[in-house]
Amino acid sequence: MKKSLLTLFALMLALSLALAGCSSGGDSSKGGDDDKVDPNNVMIYGRGGDSVALDPAVVTDGESFIVTEQIYEPLVNYGKDNTDIVEGLAKKWEVSEDGLTYTFELEEGVKFHDGEKFNADAVIKNFERWAKSKDEEKFYYYKSMFGGFEGDEGHVIESIKADGEYKVVFKLKRPQAPFLKNIAMSPFAIASPKSLDGDKLSKEPVGTGPFKFKSWKPNDTIVLEKNADYWVKDLPKLDGVTFKVIKDNSSRLNALTKGEIDLMDGLNPSDMKKVQDNGKLQLFERPSMNVGYLGFNVEKAPFDKKEVRQAISHLIDKQAIIDNFFEGTAEPAKNPMPPSINGYNDSIQDREYDEAKAKELLAKAGVPDGFKMDLWAMPVARPYMPNGQKVAEAIQANLAKVGIEANIVTFEWGAYLEKTRNGEAPVFMLGWTGDNGDADNFLYTLLDKDNIGSNNYSRYTNEEVHKLLLEAQSTPDEDTRAELYKKAQEIIHEDAPWVPLVHSKPQLAGASKIKGFVPHPTGSQSFGDTSFE
Amino acid sequence: MSEQLAKSTPPLVPQHVPAPVEDKVISPWKEAWRNFKKNKIALVGLSIVSFFIILAIFADLVAPYHYRDGNLADKHISPSAEHWFGTDEFGRDILSRIIYGARISLWVGFFSVAGSVIIGSLLGIIAGYYGKWIDGIISRIFDILLAFPSILLAIAVVSVLGPSLKNALIAIAIINIPTFGRLLRSRVLSVKEEEYITAARAIGMSDFRILIHHILPNSLAPIIVQGTLAIAAAIIEAAALGFLGMGAQPPTPEWGKMLADSKDFIIQAPWTVLFPGLAIMLTVLGFNLMGDGLRDALDPRMKS
Repeated sequence: MKKSLLTLFALMLALSLALAGCSSGGDSSKGGDDDKVDPNNVMIYGRGGDSVALDPAVVTDGESFIVTEQIYEPLVNYGKDNTDIVEGLAKKWEVSEDGLTYTFELEEGVKFHDGEKFNADAVIKNFERWAKSKDEEKFYYYKSMFGGFEGDEGHVIESIKADGEYKVVFKLKRPQAPFLKNIAMSPFAIASPKSLDGDKLSKEPVGTGPFKFKSWKPNDTIVLEKNADYWVKDLPKLDGVTFKVIKDNSSRLNALTKGEIDLMDGLNPSDMKKVQDNGKLQLFERPSMNVGYLGFNVEKAPFDKKEVRQAISHLIDKQAIIDNFFEGTAEPAKNPMPPSINGYNDSIQDREYDEAKAKELLAKAGVPDGFKMDLWAMPVARPYMPNGQKVAEAIQANLAKVGIEANIVTFEWGAYLEKTRNGEAPVFMLGWTGDNGDADNFLYTLLDKDNIGSNNYSRYTNEEVHKLLLEAQSTPDEDTRAELYKKAQEIIHEDAPWVPLVHSKPQLAGASKIKGFVPHPTGSQSFGDTSFE
Repeated sequence: MSEQLAKSTPPLVPQHVPAPVEDKVISPWKEAWRNFKKNKIALVGLSIVSFFIILAIFADLVAPYHYRDGNLADKHISPSAEHWFGTDEFGRDILSRIIYGARISLWVGFFSVAGSVIIGSLLGIIAGYYGKWIDGIISRIFDILLAFPSILLAIAVVSVLGPSLKNALIAIAIINIPTFGRLLRSRVLSVKEEEYITAARAIGMSDFRILIHHILPNSLAPIIVQGTLAIAAAIIEAAALGFLGMGAQPPTPEWGKMLADSKDFIIQAPWTVLFPGLAIMLTVLGFNLMGDGLRDALDPRMKS
């Protein structure tokens, strides 16, 4: 108590200082700008939460990627509305027959925003930064997509070498079927080699993309401006993009209706009709490639017992949740990956809503009268879960029917992810939007023991699943891979480390003047060819 | 001023200053009640408040459903015989939630004000009676607390302690401390010059006894008036914190939280917003009317 009073006092002092500071500051961002930026040609994008960091290699959340996607570019890209591989900073590539050598021919004459030249050296420096760091805290996504760091047994990349200034050769230790899809992912985009030292990149990103970073007011706005020297001719069409945080979904829609913002994600499904009826607005639907789930920390009692996890699976009425909170813009999930991805196991029988069965399972687990637990719910609208708090409340009510008393807990978005990753949450709501359209990016990334402390938030370990997933990674034949993934899903279904909840079709709304914007299934897309009519 | 007061006020503790023999001796509390009864508006306030208190006490018997029970399929049923106030988006009966919510709002109102009265009075009395540097320190603390807009201060307190109903209550208690502190301090400053205090001191009474037996009872009337009005304010503040998600946590049927949860449906299902809003308005109105009536009844200067 004493300590919190002290903190309070300090807080009040800080608050008064901050308030005093405000009066003298003045607006530094105003005036004196050399460029002829037309404010009417700047798109303002409204979203529910702020980015965690602007160095894509250190994050996994969509709010960060949607910004970094404008600033950086990867070697190869996805198609405009699919996850097929097309050229990016590399204009051509060749794969050797054994699947072990990838040769990329790079675009020439590309410059980073700081004037540095983009060449084979820059590519190598970026990959070395990740591979040599051996920093599991920071580059956990690299570790999980490429099997470890340099020197690790599982690390897929054996070497990267330059062949002339504009040719890079990747040598792999073993074939990795989704390798091209992996290097096309937002986190592995190329940053200016000069900006790689220290932690600068997280705050001051420098890439080759269509927009340059200008300023970031945390929890408020991120301002990007046009990269006038962009290497693709006639792009970008906009003079800038501003990302604005408006936490509440309906306030965001209000801002859009009033013209304060031009495009928004996280539309409340119940507001879809409002948008359709408004002649000045248009509705966008993102192709579904995600899963929203309720995860259990399988290391924490009583969720270390599979019966308890299965019991809770029987207490969630997915269809009712979809009818009430998604207005039909989602389908119930039974697997940890969406049906659109190759390898989806449709023969799995979902656990239906059944209180009696849940009670039976709880009795078997030795907790027949229920228990108290914390239920973590995300604080912001996510594509796979537009209103996590309300869905949590619905789940809370269902759990109460068998005596499980759930206390809903939440934190600010960045802290929520970090704490969940550290295993602090016993039961939590979370979701995942596929980053490359491969089953590997769901099952291996989210549920393999290699990824505990990274994206395996449930800390689920199963040797057999691990074996299947690794085998699938190094199998080139797609049908064989699919079989392996189907088997893995059966085991995961039985172990129930998650209750898969929904695969949603995220809804976006924008002003009707927006042209050329195509929502990408991965959840983030470049606004390079978006324009205003 | 003090002389005039002494003449016109029957002292609140009659045994120390005997009333003139020709008057009939009636207790000042009885007299206050007589005055209060004459005030129709105040009686309306009293009945509203009593109504909600009874609802809160007997919520288990009165409410048709449990506040937590609902069926998602019964979402947004408009007011009907089965659900007088309709249902919310979780299919829960709004009437039942409002009845249980009365318990929460009144509980927060009473206890937060009780907390600030106790701490505020104590500090106020000490400041007023001892004066000098003690007064200086305590008064400056009050000034600091008053310098912040009260709801902002409450939000800061809750941010430090973490969002919950208990912490919202503590926050509201803290922001009301200076009001009561200052009230008591000024009251003590005037009362301690009274002759009966000098007399008490002359016969060697200890400071503590003087404070407890003379000064505090003589300061009770303004505390009661201010306390009643403060309950009204506290209910609004609790609802505001609930609305911001910093008070009661789901599924607690706190009125402010109910408003926040249903504000998205103001067009489709207006009853989800209307009834909790009305409930807040009515209780606050009740406490305000009652407080005004009490002030008229207890303030000797208002006597005809």
